[in-house]
Amino acid sequence: MLKDVTLGQYFPGDTIIHRLDPRTKLIVVVLFIVALFQAQSWLSYAAVLAAAVICMVISHIKPKNIFNGLKPMLIVIVLTAFLNMFYTEGTPVIPGWIITWEGIDKALKMILRIVLLITGTFLLTYTTSPMSLTDGLEYLMSPLKKIKVPVHEMTMMMSMALRFIPSLIEETDRIMSAQRARGADFESGGLIKRAKALIPVLVPLFVSAFRRADDLAVAMECRCYHGGEGRTRMKVLRMSASDWIALAVSAAFLILIILMKKLWSGV
Amino acid sequence: MSIILVNNVHYTYPGDDMESLCGVSLSIEEGSFVAVLGHNGSGKSTLAKHLNAILIPDEGSVSVCGMDTSDEQLAIEIRRNVGMVFQNPDNQIVANVVEDDVAFAPENLGVPSDEIRRRVDEALKQVGMIEMSSHAPHLLSGGQKQRVAIAGVIAMHPKIIVLDEPTAMLDPQGRKDVLNTVMRLCREEGMTVVYITHHMEECVDADRLVVMSNGSIVTEGTPREVFSQVELMEKEGLTVPETTRILYDLKQSGFSVPLDELSVEGCAEAIASAF
Repeated sequence: MLKDVTLGQYFPGDTIIHRLDPRTKLIVVVLFIVALFQAQSWLSYAAVLAAAVICMVISHIKPKNIFNGLKPMLIVIVLTAFLNMFYTEGTPVIPGWIITWEGIDKALKMILRIVLLITGTFLLTYTTSPMSLTDGLEYLMSPLKKIKVPVHEMTMMMSMALRFIPSLIEETDRIMSAQRARGADFESGGLIKRAKALIPVLVPLFVSAFRRADDLAVAMECRCYHGGEGRTRMKVLRMSASDWIALAVSAAFLILIILMKKLWSGV
Repeated sequence: MSIILVNNVHYTYPGDDMESLCGVSLSIEEGSFVAVLGHNGSGKSTLAKHLNAILIPDEGSVSVCGMDTSDEQLAIEIRRNVGMVFQNPDNQIVANVVEDDVAFAPENLGVPSDEIRRRVDEALKQVGMIEMSSHAPHLLSGGQKQRVAIAGVIAMHPKIIVLDEPTAMLDPQGRKDVLNTVMRLCREEGMTVVYITHHMEECVDADRLVVMSNGSIVTEGTPREVFSQVELMEKEGLTVPETTRILYDLKQSGFSVPLDELSVEGCAEAIASAF
């Protein structure tokens, strides 16, 4: 039951998108999101959709994986669509009815916007390993170090947390099996009963997590960890030609979408 | 020449009334393999943590490669020279990929990137894990994880490795792999090894054996010398290797056999010549 925890899920691959520098991908995703929010006409939405589909095809990510990721967001999507449909003023579809043509138009665009937003970020996490993602983040946020933001510490904690997810899942499985062996029942009963049954799992899990953290801290000290100062990296991030091309294309794309908004608003 | 000098060290954990170390003195020769044997709570792990300035003695002093551990300025330099491997391999691996984990220590030391790459490959080769360099650590077996942890330490190029019960959580195969790896590092690479354990069998090939109990050193010497003191070992609740056990029982029954044969062959010969 715990195997389907998907946090920062990564599908290893060797496509050009997988090989891009994580910094490039982070910037491209930001540009993509900005473009998405600049899109107003159906034509510009179509352009953003096309861009997402092209990236999906190049990176060999199956549409199925994207849809699986969208599932938990379904309620939000449906709710937003409904609200937009009912609360937009304009010409009613049937005279006297609350639903307007403008409402339907806006609702559909809103659905598309949320779906594309999630697709864009999924393409990032699906094609970038969590480690290189945190590396990229640390690099991009490093200017913030000047104003005393603990960027290194934050990204270190992030990668550490990702590293320990499988260990903690394993631990949880072990504790649950041990308790099941002594007659604990996690499956039956209502939501509240099941939640209560988890308390005896969470207590030892927390205790062991703290013990682990303590051990880890000592082990890190033993390996000369003393914060980010003076630290070097084995894998230095390098921008290649394809990174610059990707950035240029994304920037051009954003400009195109903005131009579409300025020039042909209402298409 | 002694590379580690422990001089009359006393240590009490904060909030504890009992001294965990009461007057331990020890000197360790460069390039030797020293096993520290003792029960849980005998103070052997506490002693280990003194060797790389994780703990500072309340009384007495520890000096490593001529550096006093109580000098905070030297802590990083001491830890670079004294690599430490702990019992639970899971809690000392910091990265999601084997080679990134091995690179952790040299990265902390500010080693240039290509030099780190070289050291990581070299360290992984030395522990026989080079084929696994891009694996995720949580998919490895316990023995493999522990060898990655050892690689992570030797990538610092330390002079000394301290291993605190590195095999306690491993299966027999993993235990053997780890012990062989460490033994090879000592014999071939000339590293000084301090190996803490409560498995007698793992101490047999050590150059020197230190037995600890209740925070002090009970006896020390070559494994032959130490294990032949069967009464003392039993008083401390430690068992002796089976070979020694047989010879001891024979001697008790009136046969004249030596007590210091540890290998199975040596033991067999000793028994054969006694009849």
